[in-house]
Amino acid sequence: MNNSIFPNIWRFFGLVALQVLLLQQITLSIGPYFNILLYPLFILFLPIQLPAPYVVLLGSLIGMAVDFFYGTLGLHASAGAFSGFARSVILATFEPKGGFTGKEPIASPAHFGWRWYLQVASYFFVAHLFWYFSVMDFTFVYFTRITLKTLSGWGLTMIFVVLYSALFNPKN
Amino acid sequence: MGKLLQLLLRNGGFMTFVLVEVLCFYIIIKYNEDQNAIFSHTATVFSGRFLDKRRQIADYLNLQQIADSLRAENIRINEELANARNIQVPYRDTFFIRNLDTLLLSDSLRRISVKPQFEFISARAVGNSISGANNWLIINKGSNDGITPNMGLVSRNGVVGIIRHVGSNFSMAMSVLHRQMRISVNLQRHHALGSLIWEGGDPALMTLKFVPHHFKVEKGDAVVTSGYSQLFPKDVLVGHVEEKPGSDPENPYFWIIKVRLNQDMASVNDLYVVNNIFYSELDSLNLKVKDE
Repeated sequence: MNNSIFPNIWRFFGLVALQVLLLQQITLSIGPYFNILLYPLFILFLPIQLPAPYVVLLGSLIGMAVDFFYGTLGLHASAGAFSGFARSVILATFEPKGGFTGKEPIASPAHFGWRWYLQVASYFFVAHLFWYFSVMDFTFVYFTRITLKTLSGWGLTMIFVVLYSALFNPKN
Repeated sequence: MGKLLQLLLRNGGFMTFVLVEVLCFYIIIKYNEDQNAIFSHTATVFSGRFLDKRRQIADYLNLQQIADSLRAENIRINEELANARNIQVPYRDTFFIRNLDTLLLSDSLRRISVKPQFEFISARAVGNSISGANNWLIINKGSNDGITPNMGLVSRNGVVGIIRHVGSNFSMAMSVLHRQMRISVNLQRHHALGSLIWEGGDPALMTLKFVPHHFKVEKGDAVVTSGYSQLFPKDVLVGHVEEKPGSDPENPYFWIIKVRLNQDMASVNDLYVVNNIFYSELDSLNLKVKDE
């Protein structure tokens, strides 16, 4: 467990910095339908054995950190808490035969293969983005707009998810 | 308690999620203008619906009270109807009377009541003013309900006004608090005829003029309609003498009497429009003598 703390701390700061320094600027310059939210990868890469309440709390924590830079207090924190909760549901659904063992500390392609990883990440980011845009519009009157934003944002985000995972190939 | 704790532990992820979301939504609504605006709007809509439902329930719970007041009203109207039947109306050359009691008391003339002289049409006030120099009421009945101009308007507590303008569903009534208002009234104790007017100011007080000095008017004497105006039935209570009267400075043979209205004009609600069935007949007779 001890050797998994530092990679997560680095990921926390690295992803927040990447999000607010690069990805936020891309969205601001192109338009609201081109949202790239990469920071939830931190939540996805938290140790599988970590109890769900901690994942929810850490999810809202990184969301809150992003909120400070976005100036949308509570918005990303809410989405982070939701995807923290959704992660436990998705991982339980995609649990391999025989269950998770201590041998695979995190849900990354290095341990489970790209096919499994892309399925899990797809559901995870759809959940996160849909919750995020719902809370942003704060009403389901704009359900079509929320869905469109989720789909376009998801497509772009997944490209960056693949790039990040291939580049760093995290194991812990 | 142990089971609750177990439930919390087993669903720890979900519980934490719910708690964090509650906190997040609080922060979102407090610090983000867009979401706050949507939240307040939605809250207003829902609280409006809630208040409406609550009013409906309160109305329902008040039904007993409403039924009681309607029952009291029915009794009063029945009595009034019975009295109205005693208004003796010429029927043929000979007069008949239907009421046994009166028959025993009556002289050799036999009379019959053909129909009551006054009909009542119930209405509600939907508009009212008391603060102007000339005040008007709006009621929710109009020509569709058989209302025509120059009908009297009374409430359970006394005279309220006179219908002046009639639409198909609503009517405007000149309030007693109007400077052109002249009500023909009697001081009940003396049967002294006078004319009741409103001089502006206090909406609870009217002025009774043209009661001669030889009537000893006391504080608290009842003022009722005379029945001479054809607008109101006889003996409808209007108010009570407010204080011992003084002389009218313009007309030294008469008193000037302050009358406190029995009906509080600020809280007019349930009304009755008085239809005098013989109004047009009596009015045309009045017109004939006007030029003589």
